[in-house]
Amino acid sequence: MMRFRDALVDSQNPDGGWGAQMGRASSTEVTALATLALGRLDLPDARSSAAHGVRWLIARQRDDGAWPVNARVDEASWSTALVVLTLDALGRDPAAAVRGARWLVRRTPRTLGLTVSLLHRAAPDRLAVRLNPDLKGWAWTSDATSFVEPTSYALFALKRLGRQLPGSAVAERIDEAERMLYDRMCRAGGWNYGNSTVLEADLWPYPDVTALTLLALVAHRERDANQRSLDALRKAMHSLRSGLALAWTTLCFAAYGEDVSTPQTRLIERYAATGFLGETKAVALAVLALSHGAEVFLG
Amino acid sequence: MKLGRRALLGGALAAGAVSSIQACRGVPRWERRAVRQTPRSRVAILPAPAYDDSLVEVMLRGLRLFTLPLLGKRIVLKPNFVEHDPNGVVNTHPTLVAAAIEAFRRLGASQIIVAEGPGHYRDTEHLLTATGLHAVLREHRTRYVDLNNDDVRALPLASHYTPLDRLYLPETLLSADLLVSMPKLKTHHWAGVTLSLKNMFGCIPGAIYGWPKNVLHWAGIHESIVDINSTLPVPRFAIVDGLVGMEGNGPIQGEAKRCGALLFGDDLVAVDATAARLMTIDPHGIRYLTEAGRFLGHVHEERIEQLGAPIEQLRKDFRVLPKFQALKRFA
Repeated sequence: MMRFRDALVDSQNPDGGWGAQMGRASSTEVTALATLALGRLDLPDARSSAAHGVRWLIARQRDDGAWPVNARVDEASWSTALVVLTLDALGRDPAAAVRGARWLVRRTPRTLGLTVSLLHRAAPDRLAVRLNPDLKGWAWTSDATSFVEPTSYALFALKRLGRQLPGSAVAERIDEAERMLYDRMCRAGGWNYGNSTVLEADLWPYPDVTALTLLALVAHRERDANQRSLDALRKAMHSLRSGLALAWTTLCFAAYGEDVSTPQTRLIERYAATGFLGETKAVALAVLALSHGAEVFLG
Repeated sequence: MKLGRRALLGGALAAGAVSSIQACRGVPRWERRAVRQTPRSRVAILPAPAYDDSLVEVMLRGLRLFTLPLLGKRIVLKPNFVEHDPNGVVNTHPTLVAAAIEAFRRLGASQIIVAEGPGHYRDTEHLLTATGLHAVLREHRTRYVDLNNDDVRALPLASHYTPLDRLYLPETLLSADLLVSMPKLKTHHWAGVTLSLKNMFGCIPGAIYGWPKNVLHWAGIHESIVDINSTLPVPRFAIVDGLVGMEGNGPIQGEAKRCGALLFGDDLVAVDATAARLMTIDPHGIRYLTEAGRFLGHVHEERIEQLGAPIEQLRKDFRVLPKFQALKRFA
């Protein structure tokens, strides 16, 4: 654990943020996750590093409440959900977090259009991609349709902050986004980026996305879809080959009351063997996975 | 026919829409700086029977057919690594990447980087280790850059087929002396074929454009392929992995098709047109190729000098989805 923490502290950029790898320009996604991981640790250097990270994040919030993916791209982005989650979990700058959450509630994805919507209702088997086009989650960008990962991140954030926002809009968005995620589930359980069947061919799930989506849907842990996906993740355990997948799986298993000793051990072994190929995000998630971080995602 | 209808709707789902190419046919939609077409182009096809050490020699022979200033240069190899399927032939073979690293080094390149921005998969560590690419990179002490998360710079488009006004492009590519597109020889369920031009989708950072680069699908797949390739302001070369390609429902779920060839060329349009002919697919039926053939390179056979083996010697009949059956008519 100390090894991960030290690696994370050491890879912080002088500006207070973290990049995808050490020395790369600071990224909002990676900075949010690294700040979250370090800010929960009761260690002076970790807290100091996290405080610097919070300052980087706060300085980059846009007037509309959203965050860009990095300092060079002045466009609102999917990374906003992770910053909102981080600020709320650490109890830092609640006003900024609420402004970010409001932006998330306002942010709607592109739709597939009336024709596709009507066709789905009349003859869904004629669609090349098997999905319900009427269900909205969150998109990666303003010009795109809903996908699984940004929707899961938005659910993490809004399930934490929703109660601070007035009206029924938040609950409605959460409910619809959850239905969208179930709609995109692969036939045998689990999730990939967001297409389960294309041109009649079933696509396979990705372990990292399956684990984080199960975390986003943990409130429905007893549902058959959750259990099938959890089973798919259990079966994939032996083939997990990355810090990212092992960290998300550990967090997911912890949230579902599963034994985490195996993924935790493999996470540590993996880091010793590959250093996660220098991926800072995986190190940040590993810190969370090894420090009971699942509670952060439980809303 | 059922699949045909479904595929048609799939085009709308994936690409979002109406072809701006067709709507504006005849009107030049590129700027002067985008033009790369020369009077004639050259493409080489070299037989390559197996993914083994012999590929280095084939690679050297292929590269030496072209006048590439490589001495002391920074070369970025851009293979196609979309996602991992242990039973499939989705990606450029790692042995071919190894051969390219070795060949460019022997020809004097001072720095070689392998870079990719996988279109579906965010888990780079898994993708690199599961596919065997990481072992190759380690053995050859070669750096890998994840283009999905690279530092970026915004560039105005040099052609205007999509409604986008600029592209954020990775600094690793913009600082290259030569960008080498290394695609797999594959059919593609939305675009017809995916070769060296389509491979450039992987240059677009997912952190900004999402996975599976959904913004580009909405902007039009064919249109985006043209705009990306016209806007990238670096010299390019193509090496196509045609030893074993993919037919049918590519780029992910098709079947392996042995072809036994490597293609080389500095006109990516001509390379892709030749590769399509090698697959017994009419390049004139591929919309992005036809449009790119107006200013980025050559599609017409009479404008392409054929080096190495003749197409007929290695041509294979690649199966396509029913909606692309018209592409087989010329054969």
